[in-house]
Amino acid sequence: MEFFRKTLDPVIALSAIAVLDVFLFLVVGAWTVGGGETMMTGLIAQTFLGDDLRRLPFWSLVFPVHGDYWKIYISLGMLFGAFAGALLSREFYLRIPRRLSEWVLITIGGLLMGVGIRLAFVCNVSTFFGLTPEMNLGGYLAISGIIAGAWVGPMIYKRILEG
Amino acid sequence: MSAIAECVVAFIFGSVVGLLVQRSRFCNTAALRDAILFKSYRNTKALLVAMMILTIGFTGFMTLGAGHPLDFDVGANQFVGLFLFGIGMVLAGACTVSTWVKTGEGNVGALWALVCTFIGMFLFSIAWSWNYWPPAPASMTGEPNLPALQLGFANARTLQDKLGIPAIAFGLVQVAVLFGIYRAILRKEMAQHVRHEQAAAADALETPPAEPKVKVLASRWG
Repeated sequence: MEFFRKTLDPVIALSAIAVLDVFLFLVVGAWTVGGGETMMTGLIAQTFLGDDLRRLPFWSLVFPVHGDYWKIYISLGMLFGAFAGALLSREFYLRIPRRLSEWVLITIGGLLMGVGIRLAFVCNVSTFFGLTPEMNLGGYLAISGIIAGAWVGPMIYKRILEG
Repeated sequence: MSAIAECVVAFIFGSVVGLLVQRSRFCNTAALRDAILFKSYRNTKALLVAMMILTIGFTGFMTLGAGHPLDFDVGANQFVGLFLFGIGMVLAGACTVSTWVKTGEGNVGALWALVCTFIGMFLFSIAWSWNYWPPAPASMTGEPNLPALQLGFANARTLQDKLGIPAIAFGLVQVAVLFGIYRAILRKEMAQHVRHEQAAAADALETPPAEPKVKVLASRWG
């Protein structure tokens, strides 16, 4: 099938996603990823800590943990859709970072993303595909922040790589 | 709609998004990083087109009172949080979408980025449980709360309610701005293309192939 042989134009792909996102907005809410990831974090933490997790007020006041939170399933769906696409286009194979510096950068980057999402209440997806199209003031603050971060990030990246 | 139906709809939406992002190689990190660093706009253009469609769709339905807009107070934490996120996505080489999509393609680095994101969120939950900032959604009022660095809540619908102008009117202004940026990018790409062609033509003139030059000289010298 041609769809799995050629790379799709991202303008076409993102236009289709935007139309679907408008429908999602009407049914449950705009596309977001950070909220689902936070709930997964809570569920994983609950598995390990049990009732001790309640000692952290965050998990009762901000994110009460429950498994039927729709945002979780967007992320699981993306994982499934990407896996199916990679398999059908024969692009699935294990890629493992080889250098220690790559692991260090990914670790710092991942931690910063996690802290940043929770601090802001939004992730990059909510910023560009939710808040800003709703013309929410937070969208403009978040876009300013992410652009500043994307400008500073390469400088830090270079410094870490150069030791 | 029941919680299970919401989860099913979300999973179907996510599956289609995952497939389309995987097949198009779209990356939000690249949309910002490549535009700033390399003046390359493949992903930026796609992001802008999506934002234009979404702005019309969201503000159009908000005019009619439909849809489920995000509703929470905003403030300095949005700027600081996304600033940290922006640095993090460049270092990790992936954002929230591409960590899931690349993990689905078998990328172990992306899976590790995802695990670290979860750890970062858990560490933040410990910090929040100590300082309670930014304010929890339950304590939000929609009004400015300057001691907590919160500006309150405002979107196209609140503008419509306060000013009596339909939300779509504000949406169209935003679309015009986004389209202006999109056109500026197209012009920049066109200028880049022309420069590349001129440079290629100049190179061809400066270093013509060896054999024809010999032939030209031979013809001149008889």
